[in-house]
Amino acid sequence: MKNHITLMAALAALALAGCGKPPAATSSSGPKVESKPAAAAEPKAPGSDKLNVFCWSEYIPQSVIDQFTKETGIKVSVENYASNEEMLAKLMAGGGSYDIIQPSEYVVGALVKEGLLHPLDPAKVPNLKNIAPQFLNLPFDPGNKFSVPFMAGTVGIVVNTDLVKDDIKGFTDVFQDKYKQNIVVLDDAREIVTWGFFTEGVPINQVTDENLAKVKPLVSKWLPLVKVYDSDSPKTALLNGDVAIGVVWGGEGAILLNEDKKFKWVLPSEGTHLFIDSLAIPKASQNVANAEAFMNFILRPDVSKQISDAFPYLNPNLAARELLTAEQRANKASFPPDEDIKKMQMFEDIGQQASKIDEMVTSLKVQ
Amino acid sequence: MAGLAAAAPVAADSRGFRRKPGLAAWLVLAPLLAWLVLFIVVPTIMLVVVSFAERDALGRVVYQFSFDNYVRAFNWVWLKVLWDSIWYAFLTTVICMLVGYPVAFFIGRAPERWRGILLMLVMVPFWTSFLIRTYAWITILSKEGLVNSLLMSSGLISAPITLLYTPFAIVLGLVYNFLPFMILPIYTSVEKLDGAMIEAAYDLGARPMRAFAQVIIPLTSPGITAGALLVFIPSICMFAITTLMGGGANPTIGEVIFKQFTSGRNQPFGAALGTLLLVLFVVALWFTRNSREEE
Repeated sequence: MKNHITLMAALAALALAGCGKPPAATSSSGPKVESKPAAAAEPKAPGSDKLNVFCWSEYIPQSVIDQFTKETGIKVSVENYASNEEMLAKLMAGGGSYDIIQPSEYVVGALVKEGLLHPLDPAKVPNLKNIAPQFLNLPFDPGNKFSVPFMAGTVGIVVNTDLVKDDIKGFTDVFQDKYKQNIVVLDDAREIVTWGFFTEGVPINQVTDENLAKVKPLVSKWLPLVKVYDSDSPKTALLNGDVAIGVVWGGEGAILLNEDKKFKWVLPSEGTHLFIDSLAIPKASQNVANAEAFMNFILRPDVSKQISDAFPYLNPNLAARELLTAEQRANKASFPPDEDIKKMQMFEDIGQQASKIDEMVTSLKVQ
Repeated sequence: MAGLAAAAPVAADSRGFRRKPGLAAWLVLAPLLAWLVLFIVVPTIMLVVVSFAERDALGRVVYQFSFDNYVRAFNWVWLKVLWDSIWYAFLTTVICMLVGYPVAFFIGRAPERWRGILLMLVMVPFWTSFLIRTYAWITILSKEGLVNSLLMSSGLISAPITLLYTPFAIVLGLVYNFLPFMILPIYTSVEKLDGAMIEAAYDLGARPMRAFAQVIIPLTSPGITAGALLVFIPSICMFAITTLMGGGANPTIGEVIFKQFTSGRNQPFGAALGTLLLVLFVVALWFTRNSREEE
């Protein structure tokens, strides 16, 4: 009998551990300890002291969240997602009442078009003045009526110069037979297809069936060369020496450059795109005042600097950049030269074509 | 499993069983029935309904009848992915059986006071999140990892061998994670094994191999079957381990379905693939049950 109880307990424990979500989809709850509203930097909203933040994994350090709670007394609960589409799916399903979301540029555009965002009161986010003009008033949200920039970045090539002696300049140098099974790329169908578009000279937002057919032969030559697909932490395979070259997010590249001098950052000669992740308030938010206070807090130079320290993406906050060390600012993966940024295109929403891209890339993976 | 248990009294009733279950019986059953309806019946119906729907540009489900998702599902791409997943799951089940059976047998025949401790030892690693254990495997198997540096320093190999991000790594991860699901059910069968039966086989002149094949295996077959099902089915759908250890270059059906619900923005298609998988399982279970009844 006793044995059976052990067995049952063991099976129950296993059942809980058995099936799982992918790593990045884990959610963490914010600080549960009630902290006193000490010397509040932001006025506390009347009636409510809660804020539900739905943000990317590995993007807002917990210390920043804790500091916000300490300063305002607003209790923050954080939930994470690993892709824009995952966020969209949960937002559309009406699950959870999110007050802050962190969509990328093309998703902001789509959400604005569908009228799913709460308009911002510029008086409540005065710190928007810290943001560099080149990141404001962009086509996806003219006049920043609905969103404020959080971080920006790009996609580039990381080369382990211990293992690769050739001069890698662009995608065509990466995807060569001699690097077969030595490459890590982002596990993101649209990214992969976009690299093909750049190489073939197709405008990246014209995701038509003809253009997809045009890049298919190229992508089908590329994918068998890839060893690892990883969007969450492509740096791992490079750090462990499992691959020699990677096409990764700028922030991941910046961490690798800081880690070891053997890593080199290359902006693809064919072109690359600029992404801007913003903060926005969903229409259904119940705590708009708290959400605005949070936005303004994130845009504060000292707070934004903390975020850059932890996740070295392209910080659009000029006042925060001044607080960074010279070394941080010199990191090419975090801060590409301005003339390069000017040349970069931005993603627009491609709607149902996303599904076609996904099918094409999956079919080429299993070919 | 729970579904079969709950269906039993109802079935008995419809066959004209004399006593109808009283109010008390229904009250006792109520939590289980509610659980079944809420977490198995309703989600399954939702899955099937969504699989016949369409979606809009933002990925919202549009309830408009369409058969497109199923037409699209019968494409060699998804069938190949499904086939690969079944193959990995099959290998996992066979290896778990070969490794798990001796372990379960040893524990089941060990002195009684040891059994609890030995079972605990099987379970201890599973008190840590399986994701953390999977990341540990990544550190062990990578090119600059434990295995490679050991082999290199011992002079057995001159260049690091590729272990991680291969089908080998996928199956290793699955076996490691699901082995206890094989050991525990076999253990319960072995524990109930009557020693007198084995002695009788010896008395009748059977050699150890024959006693094992004709007495022990049949007597422990309920445990083997249960273990095989408990390993095979979750192995097909598991995607976190296969993505992390396989590097995503060999997509599995679980991963493909997950992507339809997220980056593919196509919940109806994901639901259609999920429904097909469910149908496949039901048919497979039905066949195994029928063939067992024939025996």
